[in-house]
Amino acid sequence: MAANTNTQASVPRLQVRDIRKAFGQNVVLRGIDLSVSAGEVVALIGGNGAGKSTLMKIIMGIYSCDSGEILIDGAPARLGKPAAALAAGIYLVPQEPLLFPNMTVLENILMGFAGNEAELKKRVAQHMKELGVDLNLQRKANTLSIAEQQLVELLRGLMRDARILILDEPTSALTFGEVQALFRVMRDLKSKGISMIYITHRLNEVFEIATSVAIMRDGLITLEGPVESFTKEMLIQGLLPKDAQAQKQGEQAYEPVRYEALKPVLEVRSFSGYGFTDVSFDLYPGEILGIAGVVGAGRTELISTIFGRDKTLSGKVLLDGKDITGMSTKQILKEGINFVPEDRHAHGLFKIRSISSNTTSALLSGGEIGKVNMNRRRQREISKKYVDDFRTKIVSLEDLIGSLSGGNQQKVVIARSLSTKPKVVILDEPTRGIDAAARSDVYGIIRQLKEAGVAVLMVSSDIEEVVELADRAITVFQGRINGEFSRGEITQDVLTSASFGIAQERTV
Amino acid sequence: MSKVKGLFKARWASSLIFLILLFLITGIADPAFLNYSNIISCFNAATMYTLLAVGIAFVIMTGEIDVSIGSTLCITAAMTGLIAQQGGSVALMLVVCLATGATVGLVNGVGVAYFGVPSLIFTLGTNSVVRGLVYILTGGRTVENFGGAIASYGNKTLFAEITVYYAIAVALVAISHVVLTRTRKGKYFIAVGDNAGGARLVGISVLGTKILAYVLCGLFAGLGGFVFASKYGQVMTVAGTGYEMTAIAACVLGGISLSGGLGNMIGAAIGAVIMSSISRLLVFIGLPSTYDNTITGVMLIVIVVVDALAQHRSVEMSRRKRLLSRTAENAPEGGGKA
Repeated sequence: MAANTNTQASVPRLQVRDIRKAFGQNVVLRGIDLSVSAGEVVALIGGNGAGKSTLMKIIMGIYSCDSGEILIDGAPARLGKPAAALAAGIYLVPQEPLLFPNMTVLENILMGFAGNEAELKKRVAQHMKELGVDLNLQRKANTLSIAEQQLVELLRGLMRDARILILDEPTSALTFGEVQALFRVMRDLKSKGISMIYITHRLNEVFEIATSVAIMRDGLITLEGPVESFTKEMLIQGLLPKDAQAQKQGEQAYEPVRYEALKPVLEVRSFSGYGFTDVSFDLYPGEILGIAGVVGAGRTELISTIFGRDKTLSGKVLLDGKDITGMSTKQILKEGINFVPEDRHAHGLFKIRSISSNTTSALLSGGEIGKVNMNRRRQREISKKYVDDFRTKIVSLEDLIGSLSGGNQQKVVIARSLSTKPKVVILDEPTRGIDAAARSDVYGIIRQLKEAGVAVLMVSSDIEEVVELADRAITVFQGRINGEFSRGEITQDVLTSASFGIAQERTV
Repeated sequence: MSKVKGLFKARWASSLIFLILLFLITGIADPAFLNYSNIISCFNAATMYTLLAVGIAFVIMTGEIDVSIGSTLCITAAMTGLIAQQGGSVALMLVVCLATGATVGLVNGVGVAYFGVPSLIFTLGTNSVVRGLVYILTGGRTVENFGGAIASYGNKTLFAEITVYYAIAVALVAISHVVLTRTRKGKYFIAVGDNAGGARLVGISVLGTKILAYVLCGLFAGLGGFVFASKYGQVMTVAGTGYEMTAIAACVLGGISLSGGLGNMIGAAIGAVIMSSISRLLVFIGLPSTYDNTITGVMLIVIVVVDALAQHRSVEMSRRKRLLSRTAENAPEGGGKA
């Protein structure tokens, strides 16, 4: 325990200074300082998009930074490519292990090594013995469980005499027992003086394994220090924006939803699928239900399964009392659920088509804009209406959609999903990559939907967004709903706590 | 026991069994087929396809494709013929063939790996360019009537009716096989095709590996061109058309996955024999040789589809397994307050 307290005197093993990085307009890192000493385990915590992964990729030499420097044992290091980082003793165990699936465990561990195979094999065996793990080296990597794959990754790092291990959310796909086994290995490595940076979303684990904590938010480290000087509540506060405590839900004219008079339009009952378990909730017409949680909590899997894109394992989904469980996406669209995807470039837009073609593309099979020949006038009428309603900034309806800004593109995608007159609209990250001005427009549109009596199910990693818009909110943690909050209870504090799995009284 | 089992599981082994079955079926249809000469001539005839298949196997292993090898073979064959007409030495011919092949490969490699153009599109482009250069080089005429030493090499046998060229090809297969499966750098080709992201993380240069694969592919195609000129003694401007597809098919038949990272050179070589034998065997079976393309095409599609389905299935299974393990715990966690 007390072995690693005198870190002040020695030079930190890894030190990053004022690292900055932007991807185009999007500034991801705004000057990061972080140091890790020998035998130290730094837990790096942060919400989605805080910049953790980018920082790690810079340390690993996968990305280059715009400015700043990295020092190893006090000496500046040029880590332009992964090979240089490996040579410097840094090894990254990625969130999803990147093994070679068609190779054996041994081939995976020894990939890139030169030398006598028998000797290398002996070293692998030695490391495995020290870690107390037992793996058949001749197994193909694609037969390994996630936990076993992580062990292979760790062995790879050890074989390279890595002195700085970066573990990117290693526990996110492990069972409880596997997590304990991993921690045992980590403690062993710690006692051997290996430094670790440990990225996680699970605050409980921080206190179990880390020696110090750093919290990242919006590309900055907001809180840093030895783990003993923090409590979970303090960590949560560090994750919140500065003015969060004061910020409550917008006090502007808000029409409370009168639930007593309503019948739910969508009922989800003990619904389980790949990535989520035993999820139940109701969605009422004319409300916005926010689903909050961290990336990987199972939200995206939940809504895509409701939408018929993945297999249901058990449970039911009822739309207006009708069982729509296990229907195909095409049928579900027809039944009246529409989906606005997270990635509008990959799933949402037909980039080289006009604005009006995009707006009406969901109507193609319905016959409303012509069965064989397109009724271009009708197409334009429909598009015009949405452009006016949503105040989409366009020059001509015939312009390519690719020429619009992100916010305006998103308006067109939402318009398209409305054109089918759905009962339920599912929005996945509705304002991702959209600037602040367009964001408030999109918020306006979402409120319009609500006023029109559409039930809106909104998945968002942006907790401020949920606070701003939602009538009710549920939080998903590790594939389960762990909190449900009504309008008055929704604050950033409460939602953040629940997203990170900190218990709150469940209100129903 | 497990060794035997492993052998049957090996993808190249099943293509060897397929080749033997092919010979046996032909033998049943026409017992006259089953003699040493006929069978060995199937192998000898596969020389060029073997060279092309081994070359392109490097590229396919990294997950890319190269459809320019047919015209690379043609231009190097034409160059060989032109040098022979001038009375140039065999050494000069070989140097020119290899240099030309390597240059085309380098261009392909840079275009695909550095500029990131989809490999099918880029190599389709170089295919046209190189074919066009053949026309410019030869003035659109067939290169023929070149005598000299190389014309006599074509059918020279080494021993037991095995031609010198096939023996050389087999030696190159063996070397490539050892390089690919036993050496550190050789394994990089497989690693890049198996998981490019993972390869990058262990310090492998994906860019360099892919470029090298294309250069090797070009070298083999250049060598193929030399063999072509030597064997046939004339080079038409359309020579080698469609050879790229035969070579790709040979790889696939030999158990090399088109998505990369799976298979080996022995498989590619056996696949090449299968591809070159089919038209001969059809004659013995009594089917018109016009069926040749259709049959190989159907075989190819079946194998590729089965392969794609299996790949898709394994990706989907592992994704689901991963998602399930996230929620495997029964009681929701997070109850313990600090």
